[in-house]
Amino acid sequence: MIRYTLTRLALLLLGLIVASVLIFLTLRVLPGDIAQLIAGVNSSPGQAAAIRERLGLDRPLPLQYLDWIGGVLRGDLGRSLLTGSSVTGQLAEKAQVTVPLGLMSLTIAVLFSVPLGVLSAMRRGRADGTAMSVGAQTLAAVPVVWAGMMLVVVFAVWLGWLPAQGFPRAGWQDPGAAFRALLLPALTIGIVEGAMLLRFVRSATLQAVGQDYVRTAAAKGLTRDRALIRHGLPVVGLSVITVLGLQVAGIIVGAVVIEQLFSLPGIGRMLVDDVSARDLPKVQGELLALTGFVLIVGFLVDLVHRVIDPRQREAT
Amino acid sequence: MFRRTALAATSVLAAAALLLTACTDSPDPAPTATGEPDPDASVVIRLVLEPGNLDIRQTAGAALDQILVDNIYQGLVSRTPDQDIVPALASAWTVSPDGLTYTFTLREGVTFHDGQELTPADVVWSLTTRRSTPEWRDSARLANVASIAAEGQDIVLTLTEPDSSLLWNLTGRAGIILKEGDTVDYQTAANGTGPFVLDNWREGDSITYVRNDAYWGDAPQVAEVVFDYIPDTQAALNAALAGEVDIVTGFDANLREQIEADGAFVLSLGQSTDKGTLAFNQTAGPLADKRVRQAIRQAIDHDAVIEALASGQTQFGPIPELDPGYEDLSDVAPFDPDAARALLADAGADDITLTLTIPNFYTTTIPQILVSNLNEVGITLQVDSVDFSTWLNDVYINRDYDLSFVLHTEARDFENWANPDYYFTYDNPEVQRLFAQSLAATDEDEAADLLADAARLVAEDHAADWLFNGASVVAVGTNITGMPSINVNERLNLAEIAKSDG
Repeated sequence: MIRYTLTRLALLLLGLIVASVLIFLTLRVLPGDIAQLIAGVNSSPGQAAAIRERLGLDRPLPLQYLDWIGGVLRGDLGRSLLTGSSVTGQLAEKAQVTVPLGLMSLTIAVLFSVPLGVLSAMRRGRADGTAMSVGAQTLAAVPVVWAGMMLVVVFAVWLGWLPAQGFPRAGWQDPGAAFRALLLPALTIGIVEGAMLLRFVRSATLQAVGQDYVRTAAAKGLTRDRALIRHGLPVVGLSVITVLGLQVAGIIVGAVVIEQLFSLPGIGRMLVDDVSARDLPKVQGELLALTGFVLIVGFLVDLVHRVIDPRQREAT
Repeated sequence: MFRRTALAATSVLAAAALLLTACTDSPDPAPTATGEPDPDASVVIRLVLEPGNLDIRQTAGAALDQILVDNIYQGLVSRTPDQDIVPALASAWTVSPDGLTYTFTLREGVTFHDGQELTPADVVWSLTTRRSTPEWRDSARLANVASIAAEGQDIVLTLTEPDSSLLWNLTGRAGIILKEGDTVDYQTAANGTGPFVLDNWREGDSITYVRNDAYWGDAPQVAEVVFDYIPDTQAALNAALAGEVDIVTGFDANLREQIEADGAFVLSLGQSTDKGTLAFNQTAGPLADKRVRQAIRQAIDHDAVIEALASGQTQFGPIPELDPGYEDLSDVAPFDPDAARALLADAGADDITLTLTIPNFYTTTIPQILVSNLNEVGITLQVDSVDFSTWLNDVYINRDYDLSFVLHTEARDFENWANPDYYFTYDNPEVQRLFAQSLAATDEDEAADLLADAARLVAEDHAADWLFNGASVVAVGTNITGMPSINVNERLNLAEIAKSDG
């Protein structure tokens, strides 16, 4: 187990190093630069060049990379070229929106997909089971943006129950308002991600129905549904954890779109703004942090899997 | 002029209608602020484009001028929404008959937001540093100023040659007065003399101002102003309908009925200097031929553009109606697809393909109309929608484009047509000469006439097309007064804004 953990950890670090190089290089391919954006459309070429020099953008690329990665190793993700604010500080501030948003989305997705997925598998072939399955297919195909707009029209504009956009300026000091601000966005991501999860739960459950141990349990006198719930579901649960790990990346992407739609000051919206401003040190710090987060979640999922799944332990 | 008269007439009619409803005791709520201004009020204003940082010295962008100039930072002189030049930190000024000496009387009792008093030395330092630091915005606009000196409370600017645009330039970035040697972090903080104090900037979300109680003039009637950056129009509409914002700028006039539906907002269409500029790269290729450029202009149905935007007016030359030197140039390129086809045939360009490079924050309405209009006369238009940094790189720096669309918001920016190095790629020595003469003129009317002559030449050369002269489309809560309606994309002076409880 220790050896396994160390190997996985080494792979994680390698992944991060490769990611840092890729992030650094691909951002340099983008046309245009921040110096020109600062100088604007009534400027001489000399003005932009002077700004470029002041910001240190004229130095050789390997040097810029080493500067950045050296800072990262000291725990400093870098600073914005526009405002001088630290990437770590900005991430921490925006995480107050995006992390709760992600957790709420994930909770909503799990809460509605797992019971409905199992139910629709158990009732397959019957009208209600088919309806649930078709419903999930349809929901999963719905663009997040459209789902969000519909929810806003109903709950914010017609009914007036929830805010249409924005996050309270007092933040979580006003927990009620902050929670309400995130409810519609979380519902939007949760429904769409949940519909995908539902299809997965359904097929995993169907697979479990056919397994030897479920049939054996049924042969020993349990009804088929009870055999499935007692012996099949733990296995389904394991696969769901794996998929949830993968869905973290999906939720981050969803947050990028949804934070635009709802004007939420989160990490996703900040990322989009920083890319269009070509604030590259800030973007690369943000991307590296997000990549690290996704890789660490994957690492943890692997570990959890190993701890709770007896079959994997025996295999080594 | 027609438009302003029409607007005035409309408002008279609206007022008459209000009186009528009052007489008939209609249950409809009267859409005017009748209550007393609330001195503790907070006004939330939706804006579209957030500044990258707040450095008024050198960061370009109307997003900074819009909120910072007048409200936080001030110059010796300022401009009204109607583009008149008025006193600000200078209580008065005189210009010598030869146009070479400007004398400003600096107000006394003005303090910066940090509490320090404004002195003539701050003014001399600000203008001198601006002039000698090319990295600062509009530094070149002070190029004609030979010396800046203080004589008691008087600030004297001596010029090498007359400059009819100097006073105007001093109302903008070139004239901003800062504290000498200030150590404030200009990127995220501010220390000016204006009626509002910067309280807080939540990057990517909102900027909050509070009243400057120590302001030298009348302090604002509201305690707080919040600029809420909501890029998406639909989200802004939702926010308005849900009562989360008091004012929506940069609105879409097509959504008038929706935002006015429950009587809480009234839409106003003010004039602006926003010029929807379709630039032609005339250095090489088919667009180097004036006939092709004229054909494109005559193929475009400008009235249809205005109709699709539900706001704004047509503009057929480089100068909008609000600026000096404007004249109606609609006779230069009337809508006529047949004439366009003939011109293209004549130029041997009856089957050409061109690419339009357009930043992706503009609506798709404009490219759609262009594609269809140009297709009518046999030009295939490909649309390349890019982010603004890419546009800056490809079009502005490298001139690597056929057609480009950008909304130029700046007032009095004719200088770009007299600059052959600008991305417009327009080089006409006669225009450059007329523009230089206009600058050197000491009489305002003479300067405007010379600009008008130059503008006609630019239009007749078909150096570009102006798809529309935009309107400032602003939805204002009915309990708000004092919100400017003209040219709010460029400057948003909030000194008069007030909000009542009712």
